[in-house]
Amino acid sequence: MKKHIAKYYPLVPVFAAYLVMFLIGRNMSGMWQLMGMLAFYCALGQAFNIFLGMTGYVDFGYVAFLGVGTYGMAIGITRFASFEGLGIGIIAIGFLLALAMATLLSLAVGAVALRLRGAYFAIATIGVNEGFRYLIEGARIWNGSEGIIFMADMNQAFGREMASALSTFWADVMVFIIAALAAVVTIYYMRSKIGYALTAIREDEDAAKVMGINVTKYKIIAFITSASFAGLVGASSWAIKTPYVFPPEVFEIHYTIEAIIIVLLGGAGTLLGPVVGGLIYGLSKYWLAVILPGFQLLIFAPLIIIIIVAFPEGVIGLLKARVNGTKYKIIIE
Amino acid sequence: MALLKIDNVTKRFGGLVAVDRVSMEIDEGELIGIVGPNGSGKTTLFNVISGVYIPEEGTVTFEGKDITRVPSYKRAPMGLGRTFQISRPFSSASVRENVAIGAMFGTLAHTVSVDNALKIADRYIDLVGLSAYRDKAAGTLTPVEKKLMEIARALAMRPKLLLMDEAMAGMNPKDIDDMVTFIKKIRKEEKIAIVSMVEHIMRAVAGLAERVMVMNQGTKLIDAKTEEALTNPRVIEIYLGHTQDQSKWRSEIWKEEKDTNG
Repeated sequence: MKKHIAKYYPLVPVFAAYLVMFLIGRNMSGMWQLMGMLAFYCALGQAFNIFLGMTGYVDFGYVAFLGVGTYGMAIGITRFASFEGLGIGIIAIGFLLALAMATLLSLAVGAVALRLRGAYFAIATIGVNEGFRYLIEGARIWNGSEGIIFMADMNQAFGREMASALSTFWADVMVFIIAALAAVVTIYYMRSKIGYALTAIREDEDAAKVMGINVTKYKIIAFITSASFAGLVGASSWAIKTPYVFPPEVFEIHYTIEAIIIVLLGGAGTLLGPVVGGLIYGLSKYWLAVILPGFQLLIFAPLIIIIIVAFPEGVIGLLKARVNGTKYKIIIE
Repeated sequence: MALLKIDNVTKRFGGLVAVDRVSMEIDEGELIGIVGPNGSGKTTLFNVISGVYIPEEGTVTFEGKDITRVPSYKRAPMGLGRTFQISRPFSSASVRENVAIGAMFGTLAHTVSVDNALKIADRYIDLVGLSAYRDKAAGTLTPVEKKLMEIARALAMRPKLLLMDEAMAGMNPKDIDDMVTFIKKIRKEEKIAIVSMVEHIMRAVAGLAERVMVMNQGTKLIDAKTEEALTNPRVIEIYLGHTQDQSKWRSEIWKEEKDTNG
């Protein structure tokens, strides 16, 4: 039994990091917003890591899942705001819709694109977010390019005070919870057959097949899991926080790029990596926005090249190699 | 009934006929060598058997079931294990995890838990003598160690038939002899049929296989007892060039070398 629990020790530093962030945000004035942003990047990294980190496949259209998650919450709130007595249950409905929509979209994209390999997969996914954006705008689905503005619906459903608390405080708390959940799912996958199958696929897909691994099945599992977490992140840190959705904003490719940077920086396929990557990226972005506004991407582009060339394992990958054989091995994953 | 039956298999790549109407049978527990120069279609034939390629013509039957169109990941659990010409370890994973992956997914039941798979892995790691490297990343092993790890990984799948693709390529004579002894040992202990593919190390084939199939330019040249196959004039010609006198002379040398090898 003890051994069984020991498998999950690597969650300790992850949860500790989230707890510290939460406490700083709560107790130091003016820090809550920054901590909320950091939690968003950690959650995004953690969600993307389940696919990018564990399978080694790069999905350039990843932001599409974030986007449909945002729409899920927006639709949930606007459609159900007038129902009396649902109260906070509306948020739950929104999350369910976000989850369902992200899952369905990922199933559709994955079933087609995951039959492609490596770079071909990456190329095939580039268009997904743009395509989805133009579909919404062109076909005027979900209000088309006008987007959905639902501040009034939130006020109607929860009352002004609660609505404001939801978007300034509870939205970020939900992001923390989603990030923690993603960490739990990640370690569960790592310790189960799914993790072993994904490792084999990442290292050598043909050899994995000959070893009896149904590669398409496991890739789709990772893809859907990763996408549904992205949907949840979009629903909370985006929709509830800023109660409006515009297609050009939520299908913006640079969130995909940010997610890639976070995962690679921290260490692809590690548990703690996305947290560390999210913190480093979030903090430096925040700092650069102050000293060199608008230059973040210009600085991060060469940075990502340096990471890939100099330390492809990322921060936690390096750390893992260091602690291998020491007593710290058990908590670093 | 033969364990594996290949019937008139043809595999083309565009205009190139890589395997041309090849038939062969393998019985349970047999140890067969497939020999042939570079480009003779050996690896393609292996890939057809393990399901990487689907042949244009002909059938592959395993234990009486037609598996010609069965995807490779479903063939492994039926009892078809293989190693690769150039080792293909899952580099970042440890030796133990590599072998455990074989035990987890390559067995018929598909019910082997992670913990059990790791236990099974330990047994096969001990069998191939890599116990000291259990927790090392597979990518850091030497080429010979990688080959051994691949064998352990394939054995952990509990195959009925093990396909070994150039298990001895690039090894020095001592390692080759050790490997030959080892392959004979696992075949006896695990009671499995083994098909070993060898490009040109006759020392290995002569000492290893009971039966040899020689391939040339995609076709089966001969399928016979090892001695008969390796002394066949056509085989000698393919490997060593022609002229009657020379090949006679060379066949003497073959015999001599074989005798010294036991």
